[in-house]
Amino acid sequence: MWRKWVKETHWPLVFSTLGLAAVGTMFIFSASYHDSGHYMSKHLFWMGAALGVLFLIPVMGYRTFLNISYLLYGVSLMLLAAVLVIGEQRLGAQRWLQIGPLLIQPSEFAKLATILALANFLGANHPWEKKWSVVLASAGITFLPLVLIAKQPDLGSAIMFVPLLAGLLFLWGMRRRFFILGGIIATVAAPLFWGFLKAYQKKRILVFLNPNLDPLGSGYTAIQSKIAVGSGGLLGKGYLAGTQSQLQFVPEHHTDFIFCVVGEEWGYAGTLFVLLLYSFLFRSAFQVMEHTTDVKAKLLVAGILAVLFAQIFVNIGMSFGLTPITGITLPLISYGGSSLVATTLALGIILSIHKERSIF
Amino acid sequence: MRYFLFRMTVYAGLTVLGFCLFRVQVLEGGRFRRLSEQNRVRLIPLEAPRGRVFDSRGNLLATNRPSYDVVATPEDVTPEVFPRLATILQLSEKEVRRRMSAPREYPFAPALIKEDVPREVLFRIEEYKPELPGVFIQIAFLRYYPYQETASHLIGFIGKINSEEYQKLDRERYGFNSLIGRTGIEKIYDERLRGWRGGRQIEVNARGQLVRVLSEKLPEPGEDLRLTLDLDFQKKIMEFIKGKHASVAVMDLDSEGLIALASSPAFDPNVFVSPGRAQERLQFLRDVNAPLLDRGVSSAYPPGSVFKLVTALAALETGKITPNTRFFCPGTFRLKPGARPYHCWSQHGHGSINLYEALERSCNVYFYNVGSRLSPETIASYARELGLGERMRLDVTNIAPGLVPDSAWKRERFREKWYQGETLSFAIGQSYLLVSPLQVLRLTAIIAKNGVRVEPQLILEKNPSDESKKTAIHEENLKVIKKGMLQVVQSEYGTGQLARVDFGKLAAKTGTAQVPPPKTAHSWMTGFFPYDNPKIAFVVFVEHGGSGGITGAKIVKEMIQIWGENVAKVG
Repeated sequence: MWRKWVKETHWPLVFSTLGLAAVGTMFIFSASYHDSGHYMSKHLFWMGAALGVLFLIPVMGYRTFLNISYLLYGVSLMLLAAVLVIGEQRLGAQRWLQIGPLLIQPSEFAKLATILALANFLGANHPWEKKWSVVLASAGITFLPLVLIAKQPDLGSAIMFVPLLAGLLFLWGMRRRFFILGGIIATVAAPLFWGFLKAYQKKRILVFLNPNLDPLGSGYTAIQSKIAVGSGGLLGKGYLAGTQSQLQFVPEHHTDFIFCVVGEEWGYAGTLFVLLLYSFLFRSAFQVMEHTTDVKAKLLVAGILAVLFAQIFVNIGMSFGLTPITGITLPLISYGGSSLVATTLALGIILSIHKERSIF
Repeated sequence: MRYFLFRMTVYAGLTVLGFCLFRVQVLEGGRFRRLSEQNRVRLIPLEAPRGRVFDSRGNLLATNRPSYDVVATPEDVTPEVFPRLATILQLSEKEVRRRMSAPREYPFAPALIKEDVPREVLFRIEEYKPELPGVFIQIAFLRYYPYQETASHLIGFIGKINSEEYQKLDRERYGFNSLIGRTGIEKIYDERLRGWRGGRQIEVNARGQLVRVLSEKLPEPGEDLRLTLDLDFQKKIMEFIKGKHASVAVMDLDSEGLIALASSPAFDPNVFVSPGRAQERLQFLRDVNAPLLDRGVSSAYPPGSVFKLVTALAALETGKITPNTRFFCPGTFRLKPGARPYHCWSQHGHGSINLYEALERSCNVYFYNVGSRLSPETIASYARELGLGERMRLDVTNIAPGLVPDSAWKRERFREKWYQGETLSFAIGQSYLLVSPLQVLRLTAIIAKNGVRVEPQLILEKNPSDESKKTAIHEENLKVIKKGMLQVVQSEYGTGQLARVDFGKLAAKTGTAQVPPPKTAHSWMTGFFPYDNPKIAFVVFVEHGGSGGITGAKIVKEMIQIWGENVAKVG
């Protein structure tokens, strides 16, 4: 039993996950030990839950989740709708639901539910038949939660559904002309979409294009976080010795901007280490994807990978001005229970796919 | 193939991040390290100049003047700076320290040490700059009201925002030390008058002095406003009501714009916006004459006989009387034989008179007779139809809604039934009735414009009310009232004949509102001019001014003459 478990677990994936979670815990401590928010104890609680989930999912098996994927999707839509009605308002947005003592962010779980629903749906259809209806239906599955999340408003999380859909359709085998058509539609729809944005969202995008537009507001955050990352140099200022982040020049430094703290305190050595851990994680996931013969499982891994990668790219990119500033967490490293548990849930599903791969 | 592409995209993305981080952290790391070590990036907020306020002819009523402020970034200041700065600014060292440690918007924000310093101080600061690290001069704007008391209630003034407001308001427009409209036009139009804040990100050296500007967003100035007010006219009116507790309001009937809205005593709004005049501010607040009170808008009084216009309209509309209905005035009126007598102001009585004569002579007994045929609800509903007892939409702060009583109101307020005797007092504008002078002006304007619903305006751009929006009152009845008002001034028996002018026919109504003795009655007069083709409507109110036909009429005459000489000629 024990030996079987050891044999069936994909240890490189587990170790890279644990490594990233350890880095996250260290830097959440560094970023928050001045604050009085009890972030560390809350984080440790969530970390326990997350690790439990990581090892529990392979026992349950990913097929269980695929079988109830539409139910999960429906529930997450309902939760998103509930957020809009009775959600907790913080920092000008309504993103949280209070459940007992816990504050959860349904958009994190909605991402995973959407991946499950899409993988299940696309896996059941062959790309060479019924092309139109399938593509349109999967677009519909994606846009429902996207719109609900954009309403909160949480534009960053909503945008994450776009690489998710694109990645899945691409790997599913959608014909090239659909991509071209999709590109055209996106180009035409962009100005319309612009009209729906809130003033501050428009401003962030404009400020990203030209930081000089707003030296007082988000432009200030942008330059301060860049200074924080850059000032780390090759080896960093030392753990707990960052000045920019500790002095709170950079806002949200335990959540969205945690990478600044890593960059400042551990320097390039640290950021490279984190990037390598992520590559290792991705490599493991790709391995699992290669070895499974289940189409739905392949799509599931692809969807999880697409979202994780997009989040990592945007979050790390925004810390030094490569991408616009959005409220996106860095998977496994940022503070935030929902994000952490949703990520390990996804990784647990990958572990389960590895366990149940067919062996020839 | 697709799988391979997908995989490559992911790895390429991570590689791009790796290279970018290498550039930012290793290649440019030194520069960022330097910037971070001393936290050498400073953010200097730049306040937007506030929009100006003009009168209808382009005279400046509110503007800005530059003020040189001494500010300092406390993080850059060395201990030796305190005594030096204290000497130059003639403040105590303790005071300099106190101002240096006042709460600020964000770390490294400059703290205001002294506002509006004279030029010599400015030069000394520049001269000693090397010995004053962290200290610099910033140009700000101080509000300035060139005509001081002339339209002070109307324009109002501005003040620093408090922390509660700061928490609630948009950070892009309101900073920690921003100014915000407190009363009058400054308050109502604050959104438009205030511009958008700007800011400058600068890199400083170790002494806190500017090395280079990293980025800059210039503030956008606020919008200018143009009022309907005629400054010269307003000024002259202010001159002849000086020393009285009075208010005069004049409306241009075409545009419905107020060309004068004067209240006396007034105050100098500059006192509220200039640093170091706190003492004078307190004096204004404590003054028993209440100079901060706008008597034309923010306060309501019993209207006295002016209200007979409303009672007459109510009776005409409900068919209780015709213009030719006659009542006999022996000098007193009793509801029943032997009941308590209600007196006319003329103890000899007015004899048998019709409605025109009753208005002309302001006969109380005639209106007691009318009142005894009406319920308080009927009078109240016509009063409301004519805009009394409701808040006006005018762009002024602290608008008094006034009070139109009826029996339901009395039950609610005093838990007592309404007595018929009270209807008699109500009919002649006494009892619980309270109106503001501006409401009386609107009432007169509605009569002069044959029943069009009038909304007084203060901003030039707004369109006058829709001509089709009329009150429910019939035009022929309004004509009767207008004729009665003409007789008030033009007839030999009229109570307002002192106001007669030689260049046109004036129509008006006087009022002398009784107040509890021993105080003198309030003096009222309202009307329109000229009778045949009305151009203006006006109201004059003098608190405890005595007879409306004397105190009020004298002011009206003077005001109409000035209007004829100054405003009408040009307009």
